Amino acid sequence: MREFKIAQPRTADELAALLAETKEPVAMMAGGTDLIDELKSGVATAGLVADLQAVAGLAGIVPEKEGLRIGAMTKVVDLDEDAAVARNYPSLRQAARSLATPQLRNVGTVGGNLCQRPRCWYYRDPQVVCRKKGGFNCYAFQGRNKYHAIFGGSGCFIVYPSDLAPALISLGAKATIGSVKGDKVVPLEQFYALPEIDGRRENILDKGQFLKSVWVPAPKAGQKAVYVKLKERGTWDFALVSAAVTGVVQGGVFAEISVVMGGVAPIPWRLRKAEDVLRGKPVSEALVRQAVDEALKDASPLRENGYKADLAFAALKEAVLAAAA
Amino acid sequence: MNTKAPDYRLIGKPTRRIDGREVVTGRATYTQDIKLKDMLIGKILRSPHAAAEVVSIDLAPALALPGVFAALKLAEGKVRYAGQQVAAVAAVDERTAEKALSRIKVEYKTLPYVVDWEKARDASAPQVRDGKGNVEKFNEYSRGDVEKGFAEADVVVERTYRTAFEIHNPAETHGSVAYWEGDHLVVYDSTQNIHGVRDGLARTLKVPAANVTVIKKYMGGGFGSKLGLNEHTVAAANLARETRRPVKILLSRRDNAVCVGYRPSSLQTYKVGAKKDGSLTAFSLVNYASGGVGAGDEVSEPVVDIYKCPNCKVEEFTVFTNTGASRATRAPGHTQGALGLEGVMDELAAALEMDPLELRKKNYSTRNLGDTGLPYSTKGLDMCYELGAKAIGWERRNRKPGEGSGPVRRGIGVATSIWFGAGVPGTLADIVLYPDMSVEVVCGTQDLGTGTRTHMAVVAAETLGLEPKDITVKLGNSDYPWAPLSGGSLTTPSVAPAVRDAALKAVDRLKAVAAARLKVAADDVAMGDRKFFAKSAPEKTVVFADVYRDLRRETPFHGERTGYPGDAYAFNTFGAHFAEVDVNVETGRIRVLKHVAAHDSGQIINKLTAESQVVGAVTQGLSAGLFEERVMDDTTGNPVNPNLCDYKIATSLDIPEITPIFVDIVDTRLNNLGTKGLGEPPRIPSSAAIANAVYNAIGVHVREIPMTPQRVLAALKRKEAGS
Ligand SMILES: Cc1cc2nc3c(=O)[nH]c(=O)nc-3n(C[C@H](O)[C@H](O)[C@H](O)COP(=O)(O)OP(=O)(O)OC[C@H]3O[C@@H](n4cnc5c(N)ncnc54)[C@H](O)[C@@H]3O)c2cc1C
Ligand code: SF4
Repeated sequence: MREFKIAQPRTADELAALLAETKEPVAMMAGGTDLIDELKSGVATAGLVADLQAVAGLAGIVPEKEGLRIGAMTKVVDLDEDAAVARNYPSLRQAARSLATPQLRNVGTVGGNLCQRPRCWYYRDPQVVCRKKGGFNCYAFQGRNKYHAIFGGSGCFIVYPSDLAPALISLGAKATIGSVKGDKVVPLEQFYALPEIDGRRENILDKGQFLKSVWVPAPKAGQKAVYVKLKERGTWDFALVSAAVTGVVQGGVFAEISVVMGGVAPIPWRLRKAEDVLRGKPVSEALVRQAVDEALKDASPLRENGYKADLAFAALKEAVLAAAA
Repeated sequence: MNTKAPDYRLIGKPTRRIDGREVVTGRATYTQDIKLKDMLIGKILRSPHAAAEVVSIDLAPALALPGVFAALKLAEGKVRYAGQQVAAVAAVDERTAEKALSRIKVEYKTLPYVVDWEKARDASAPQVRDGKGNVEKFNEYSRGDVEKGFAEADVVVERTYRTAFEIHNPAETHGSVAYWEGDHLVVYDSTQNIHGVRDGLARTLKVPAANVTVIKKYMGGGFGSKLGLNEHTVAAANLARETRRPVKILLSRRDNAVCVGYRPSSLQTYKVGAKKDGSLTAFSLVNYASGGVGAGDEVSEPVVDIYKCPNCKVEEFTVFTNTGASRATRAPGHTQGALGLEGVMDELAAALEMDPLELRKKNYSTRNLGDTGLPYSTKGLDMCYELGAKAIGWERRNRKPGEGSGPVRRGIGVATSIWFGAGVPGTLADIVLYPDMSVEVVCGTQDLGTGTRTHMAVVAAETLGLEPKDITVKLGNSDYPWAPLSGGSLTTPSVAPAVRDAALKAVDRLKAVAAARLKVAADDVAMGDRKFFAKSAPEKTVVFADVYRDLRRETPFHGERTGYPGDAYAFNTFGAHFAEVDVNVETGRIRVLKHVAAHDSGQIINKLTAESQVVGAVTQGLSAGLFEERVMDDTTGNPVNPNLCDYKIATSLDIPEITPIFVDIVDTRLNNLGTKGLGEPPRIPSSAAIANAVYNAIGVHVREIPMTPQRVLAALKRKEAGS
């Protein structure tokens, strides 16, 4: 671990000012479950670490008239234990429960989860300088890529590892971004950026900006929301493929539906083509098959990750049938 | 020979670990916990390149750093794998040592390399060893005439099975602390072999073995990765010599994946012929195995030994790559061999439309080498089959593999093990009786976490008519009486008989002393309820305390594990595992629901720790069967998953109900307790039984471990395609 300074701003404005003023690279630390690992291994370096722990007003789940606001510093475990989340956003609770381990959920935050860095094993190896770290090559492209992206890769084939992001996006969440220029709100879906935009980061945050909160709209009448996560082992495992489905079901058909997958692309992957197939028709396994086949037309699997196409079907089938039930 | 287990008071019953409280309260000191006055921290710089010429190493910038006490060059000429040691430093603390490492200037000239072991087989692949090919035959065996055997067969099945590189990953990584007292070297080492490390250090450092002491009190596992002297231990001793201070070197989790071994891979092709009634006519095996710059494992012992088969032919090849050398890993070779052999037995059973268990019983042997060699002194495998089948509910299996339907399929499978575990003659142990009635058992063995301390106390207490808590156990110091390395399931069958021997001698002396007090003949004295009494006149008694006091000074008794009784018999351990699984054919995910492990390891000493061995080994086998695999990358020459996040080990949520069964056959020919080893046997058939259960569930054998969703789905595709 290289040496760094640490700052502990007390308010969001102090944080914004600190981020704007500091010349050297700053790393924000929320729970630190991801960041500290990166700093220790040398994959990340920072002149200054801004500890968000003491920043007032960043933690907490607050009901609002039109929805629910979740502060960036809210612990993942609090999502799991919150009554409003359990009642109105069951998929979010399922996602929170599915991720990492109890120890990590007790410490990890929602903001940290949504801004965590990729798990690509080349990226995580301090000896390797790949494209994401400013090098020339993507080692995964022709290398060992069983966990990598089947959609949306170009130059970099990470999958975005967050379990909360697909669930939140399918629920229609919006992100509030703070900076010295004031707050900015974007749909969470647009918070993430593909490698073709900037291979070195996974979201649109510019220098000086930070994630302040996410807001989830109140559920519509008859809304169903399910999160299914397929993994290799029972716990402590990132998704091989996950599916978040939010829909309004009337008489056995989805009047509205939103499908977002994790583990398949460098960003949480919205399957609009699948949504089009699934919307307005009686739900059946065959319809899901058709929807997945439509979506998979955009897939370009690498040498070792073709099985994710099968898992996409399995995850979507389970999620869609559960939502329609 | 009477093989019935004697009715002991303690032996064979469950006894809690005498050091359990120490361990769970964090008071036990492991090598990693050792802190000595003025101790320096040593760190090792390792090659990032899989093959390179080391042109120069400049230590000066590291030595110039304040707080750095010494630096050593450790490489000369070529490095042949990423992770090979290049240089070492000793500094006041870890941060300074790390900084110093980053200042060492090494100039490498990189060379062509190959880490993908299948590519390494190509004639055009870079040569790992200068001037020699990468493929080398390292074992062959033949009996009978296999061609004739296959010609006589009604059914012939040929299949190929693969096993992955499995890293030991003990909870405690390797580590050593070394210091010199004048010309005497003392080393605390996390090792399975204190005497071996002592002798290795003496040879390497050119000091008399008598001037080296190796100490290991507690250890967090080894699984074979800590069986010998390590390079970092030598570096610690050399740095300590140079700085005249204690030096501590701990290896990292990454080091565990690159430089202290792993289980070699295997690619095993079996051909088996059988008559319609299931009797085997011929077996052939061709195995390719890779152990990096070291050797592969022989996987052929199970096929050569277990089943009655007159004709058998084996050829094994090792494939060299630019990867660190493999090391023995809990039941080396047998674990891989069981997956292949037991897999092909099940595929043969399906071809014969026979019950897989019946096929195994049909070919049951009572002599080794497939019923052509020496008779087994004892063999309780038939009882393992019987009790295990009953415990799992064997009749519930699919009659035809894969006959179930729906997305989740259930299956049950069986697999067999044979292993050694007779122990090492010449093992020594002392019992010391004190006039205050304290009792010491001393043996230069080591407790890897398996419960050796407790079993020594149990044997001594049983023999002396005391309780385990009355016994002070001393082990883990190479100055104590010799015991072998703890590997090969040797420890209990070596140490327990030696302790028993010493304790029996102690009892003889105590009886003689008691006889003098009781004024009867020594052979008239019996023991019970912490008293001695005359058999002829039971009312004549003397309490233990008085007899011990009469010894007047501490009195040692030397025990020894005796030799084998000639060469008329084969001494082996046996086991049969039964697993029940659910397989989701859409997600490819396997869940193990139940695992029964039946074992013949002779007399069990401590039932509690014996069961722990079985539970641990089944867990490890499940983990290797479903998750564990070191993944090498040919572009970087390094593993991509040298950590515990990407190298996946079973979690508590993956572990099913595990039922250990011991068949309690006591081999009195073998040693004074009739005990055999148990450390490795339960590891051997565990992955294989699960693989066979998966086959029974889905109707296609995955034939490769770990059976990840990716591989299960691929196997199902193979089935659909009808191949
Ligand atoms: C072993 C392991 C297993 C895991 N398994 C899973 C899993 O299955 N599913 C899953 O989703 N996650 C998983 N994670 C990731 C874990 O969920 C996240 O690490 C955790 O939620 C992150 O929260 P944190 O507060 O600790 O983040 P930190 O480590 O503090 O931060 C993570 C990153 O986000 C940045 N950041 C944090 N907060 C903000 C903010 N407000 N604005 C801008 N940037 C910010 C930090 O600078 C850093 O780069 C796992 C992590 C580990 C170590
Ligand atoms: S997928 Fe991205 S992070 Fe991984 S090696 Fe390629 S460029 Fe680097």
